[in-house]
Amino acid sequence: MDARSKQPVTVSALSKKSMGKRKQLDDAPAPALLPQETLEMLSDEEGADQAVSDDGQVDEFPQIDAESDEEDTDEDDEELFESDDGSENSFDRDIFPRPKTIISDITGQPKRVYPEIEPDYDSDSSTEDTQNRVGDVPMHWYDDLPHIGYDIDGKRVLRPARGDELDKFLETVEDPNSWTSAFDKTAQMDKPLSAQELDIIQRLYANEVPDAGYDPYEPMVEWFTGKGKEEVMPLSAAPEPKRRWVASKWEKQKVMKIVRAIRQGRIVPSKPKTSAKLEVYSIWSEPSSSHPPPLPAPKPRLPTNSESYNPPEEYLPTESEREEWEKQDPEDREREYLPKKYSSLRLVPAYDQFVKERFNRQLDLYMAPRVQRVKLNIDPSTLIPKLPSPQSLKPFPNYKSLKFDHPSRARCLSISPDGAWVVSGDESGVVSLWEVMVGREVKRWKFESKIGAVGWCPRTDVSYFVVALEETIHCIIPPHISASLFQSTKALLAPPTLPPPPETPSPVKWVSSTLTSDGPTLSVHLPPSSGLPKQIAWHRRGDYMATVSGSGLHGGVWMHQITRRHSQAPFKKIRGVVQLVLFHPSKPHFFVATQQYIRIYNLAEQKLLKTLMPGIKWISSMDVHPSGDHLIVGGYDRKLCWFDLELSAKPYKILRYHTRAIRSLAFHPTYPLFASSSDDGAIQIFHSRVYNDLMTDPLIVPLKILRGHAVKDGLGVLDVKWCPRHPWLVSAGADGAASVWCS
Amino acid sequence: MGRLRQKGKAGAAKAYVTRTAAIKKLQCSLADFRRLCILKVPGIFPREPRSRKRANKGSSAPTSFYYAKDIAYLAHEPVLKKLREHKAFAKKISRALGRGEWSDAKNLEENKPIYRLDHIIKERYPTFIDAVRDIDDALCMIFLFASLPSSARLPTSLTENCSRLVAEWQLYIMHSRSLRKVFLSIKGVYYQAEIMDQTVTWLVPYQFTQNVPVDVDVRVMLTFLELYQTLLSFVFFKLYTDLGLVYPPPLDAKKDESGAGVGAFSLQSSTKSAVDATTQPKTVEVDGRKISGKDVRQAIKSLAEAVSQTNGEAAPLEQNAMEVDEEFVTQPSTSDPQSTASLTTLQALQALPQSLTTSLFAPYTFFLSRETPRSIFEVIVRSFGGRIGWPASSGGGSPFDETDASITHVIVDRPVVSSENETAEERARRSRRKYVQPQWVVDCINAGKILLEDKYAQGQTLPPHLSPFGEHEGAYDPTSELAGDGVADSESEIEEIEGDEEEDEQDEQQTEEKSALRAAANATDDASRRAAELAAEVAGVDYGTFEKQVRKSHKKANAAATGTGDDAEHDMNKMMMSNKQKKLYEKIKHSQNKKSTERATLEAKRKQLQKEKRKAG
Repeated sequence: MDARSKQPVTVSALSKKSMGKRKQLDDAPAPALLPQETLEMLSDEEGADQAVSDDGQVDEFPQIDAESDEEDTDEDDEELFESDDGSENSFDRDIFPRPKTIISDITGQPKRVYPEIEPDYDSDSSTEDTQNRVGDVPMHWYDDLPHIGYDIDGKRVLRPARGDELDKFLETVEDPNSWTSAFDKTAQMDKPLSAQELDIIQRLYANEVPDAGYDPYEPMVEWFTGKGKEEVMPLSAAPEPKRRWVASKWEKQKVMKIVRAIRQGRIVPSKPKTSAKLEVYSIWSEPSSSHPPPLPAPKPRLPTNSESYNPPEEYLPTESEREEWEKQDPEDREREYLPKKYSSLRLVPAYDQFVKERFNRQLDLYMAPRVQRVKLNIDPSTLIPKLPSPQSLKPFPNYKSLKFDHPSRARCLSISPDGAWVVSGDESGVVSLWEVMVGREVKRWKFESKIGAVGWCPRTDVSYFVVALEETIHCIIPPHISASLFQSTKALLAPPTLPPPPETPSPVKWVSSTLTSDGPTLSVHLPPSSGLPKQIAWHRRGDYMATVSGSGLHGGVWMHQITRRHSQAPFKKIRGVVQLVLFHPSKPHFFVATQQYIRIYNLAEQKLLKTLMPGIKWISSMDVHPSGDHLIVGGYDRKLCWFDLELSAKPYKILRYHTRAIRSLAFHPTYPLFASSSDDGAIQIFHSRVYNDLMTDPLIVPLKILRGHAVKDGLGVLDVKWCPRHPWLVSAGADGAASVWCS
Repeated sequence: MGRLRQKGKAGAAKAYVTRTAAIKKLQCSLADFRRLCILKVPGIFPREPRSRKRANKGSSAPTSFYYAKDIAYLAHEPVLKKLREHKAFAKKISRALGRGEWSDAKNLEENKPIYRLDHIIKERYPTFIDAVRDIDDALCMIFLFASLPSSARLPTSLTENCSRLVAEWQLYIMHSRSLRKVFLSIKGVYYQAEIMDQTVTWLVPYQFTQNVPVDVDVRVMLTFLELYQTLLSFVFFKLYTDLGLVYPPPLDAKKDESGAGVGAFSLQSSTKSAVDATTQPKTVEVDGRKISGKDVRQAIKSLAEAVSQTNGEAAPLEQNAMEVDEEFVTQPSTSDPQSTASLTTLQALQALPQSLTTSLFAPYTFFLSRETPRSIFEVIVRSFGGRIGWPASSGGGSPFDETDASITHVIVDRPVVSSENETAEERARRSRRKYVQPQWVVDCINAGKILLEDKYAQGQTLPPHLSPFGEHEGAYDPTSELAGDGVADSESEIEEIEGDEEEDEQDEQQTEEKSALRAAANATDDASRRAAELAAEVAGVDYGTFEKQVRKSHKKANAAATGTGDDAEHDMNKMMMSNKQKKLYEKIKHSQNKKSTERATLEAKRKQLQKEKRKAG
């Protein structure tokens, strides 16, 4: 503890009266004590200032220090004692009896003598009035009783009659003393206040000491101090303790502790102040740590010609460029300034964004995440895969050689196995048979419902095609075929002896129609409400044919055997909606495409082989490579997936080049070609070479985009098929045209 | 069975921490954390995790991430400890002041915790080269703050310290002659110096009062400035001592008051050259990694200068004389230029351009007129060996006054005013001197040679001032002649004129002609060609022109065909690109297109301007 912190205690111990003065004294040295140096923490300094001034204000309020309590109470006691002594003296002259001061015979000191109290009627008014002697009990005990207590004789003191409010009011009007009267609880009535009581009330109002006889500024009577009152004899006979004259051991220990600390240098007696001043020294003369330095921050870009104060004129923005620049958000601007030209250096004004730009740079330095990126400095053309030129991969369909028109949307088409004839069907129910070479229509059939699919039987010893209508499939023998062929076909479709009907009755009905030359020879009636068959897939031998309807039992898939005139549903139940089916070209495998997956079944063993996941949202078309090892799948989401069936269930390659949904895909049976058609009205021809070597990936080369079909109602080319012996393509479009594309 | 892997115990979840987590870990306030990050710049900065979700335990809320290791490293930072101490100190002092315990407060204030940044500098820049490489931003900042008006947030001492550092830097640049390029831009003046083989670029605002915008957080800038001041002090110390100069250079208060600026500081070589000799190898060891021939040369030069500096003012002249001598020695051998070219050593090659460019203004004496900014040109001229004087209105300390006979160039930036009452002496003086605009000085430096003064004479329209830092590759170059500037331009103009004349009369006819020609161009077989010929004849085109046009259009068609064929093939091959490649390709193509369109628009503008000029003139 140092002396300063003790000071308030000693000061307050002096006297209560000097409190105000002390405050004034204390306030004076305060500014001098305030540190002259500016403090580091600005806010703190302000706060401290505030606190100091507040403190001063608070201190002005007279407050008794906790430490000075003892002394104060002592003094109070003294004063009480004193006032006891002379209370009568200072009391109001009118009320209280006046004392007489006489010289005492015994002590020789002056003393006050009060007049004798005469015990007559007038002598003590205090005992006279109190009739009720119940004492200090709660008066509400007597609330329900007629009396309010008992008098000295034990008789009931009856409750004085109290008037109502009107009486009270009248009383206040009539009685001039009523405003100086108060309700007396024990008497249960208003009593006028005495002069003494009024005096006390007045004093309380005036915030004075209620006792009129108390004089707070009485001169102190020195009893034991002062001249001539020194005590000669000691109060106690105890001998002087040793500690009065022997140095304190504990103090010595404390001091020695500090001395040792100073000697050891732990405490520096006159320590130099910590200064903010920087001392520079050769910081790089010591070897650095082995830590690699952090990556330096990227440097800002160096200024270009447009930032010059006098740039070439072509850099100056035009009016429109200036407007565009001003319209942009500051963040979106490519440059943060507009180029300007000044004819001389003295005309260049201050750049108003200077501080802001510096600040932004600093924000970048410490707040922006920093990522190291490899800057690619490559020629973009090297990214394009090097593929053999289409010129070297001829032949492929190149131009439209002829066009055959349908009255409405041409939906489907099929080419005869010899490649000479095309049969195409449209939405109005027209099926046309025409020649590939010249486009001459040979025959036209008209059906009542729209045509879902047509498919030419792949057998060469017979010649007929199948037309799929609503819930019906017709087998039709084309005209102008050789007699022997006609005979064999007829024998197949309408044999003289019908094969025995299946043991279990099938919902599919086989009906031979009357042999008219232009009608269907054989009709297959699918179960009712099975809808329009969307696809006909022939087995390579030409005996089996699979059809897919939009709805119906067993996923709408039916397998028809022509020779036995028997239909069966291969799946009892199938997950998802079947979109397409396909026969494997060489193995007894069966591809079933649902909306998102392709399942491959082994028909001989009747089990699922694998599931392919093309990642297409909705499969629209599919074709299998003639080798049977590759599959292409197209989707309405424009994707085309090439699957290597030996490789994996994921596509080997995903291509996305059509701008609209893919509608149809077809592999050429002999040439290494495939085509895709889309709703954007384009047909894309690809070269697709497949190698026998398992290690070599198939080569896919885009060859040609064939345009010529018009897009109608958002539909483009709906079906494409290849001529089996030529690199020719036949397409059917939504504009009603069926075109032949030749090489 | 392997150990079970718990979530959030490995990988990105462990490698990254969010800012809030970092602050919690370091037990400091956000303001302190920010300050710490700034002081450790660029060591600790937010990182971009590959997957924000994975780094933030599945949440994709926008937060900034830091490396957990960086934060663990920060936890041991002495500055952080000091910041915590300061927090305690602030509490203690506010308590003491609140209680009116003045002596305690004074004691506390005297022992206030103050952090030092030298260890951060050392850690951030282990070698001197690292530090020099990174002083660009620091220089920009001190130049800015030296020009800011002092306020409650910016005490005068700060501004003064900044301007002291600025002056020290300029002195060093002038003394070491390391300035290379200067660019007068609309933002300010860019300077580029080469120090220890590192290019240092800094931007100095023009001398106007800068206002600090309200949306700029001055606290951030001040924290940066704190770091930068320390960094620059250490860097300058090293630079000065390497040159054998005393650091800090003593300031002459009297001169400073008279506005001498840089001249108020005097460079003093450290007394003993022997000491230099001992310190030099040490620095070589320190720099260790990179010692180029330039460094050694610089050191030797500094030694030589240290000796010559004692002679005072005459030093640069002597040096110039020496350089001239060297050149003179080489000249006799240049009688056969080929042989000298083959004989030049590496050292000579290195030395030659530098000595040429750094003493560019050595033979000249400049005088600044009062409207030119002295702060810019004094540094520029003196760091290229020239002598410069200025009028008293630009500050004191000018080595000579306007009447000095040695003045060769006067830099003026005001329009020509004819002054009638000129004395003969003044006229004579005027005729002796060359009056150039300020841009001449800068252009000379950037060109590396003395340019002709005529173009830059007083009152002349200045040639454009180009950036010496160049543009990106393949950008528009205003200095190069446009490809079709001469011949093609005139041709097209002739065509245009012809077109103008003909168009009025032969509108209909021309359309006919054109259709005929088009038909001819398209015609492949003989028959159709003949038909087109007939049509052309009917339209009134003579055979010669028809032939020519047909040939031209054929050529065009062929070119188009081959072009389109190639393009189509390319386009088709693009189908086979993977998605990633496709995106990259598109991106590159986009940027290329942007650049080329920019270039094209600039070229078109230039053509347009030229045409207008030709029309006007």
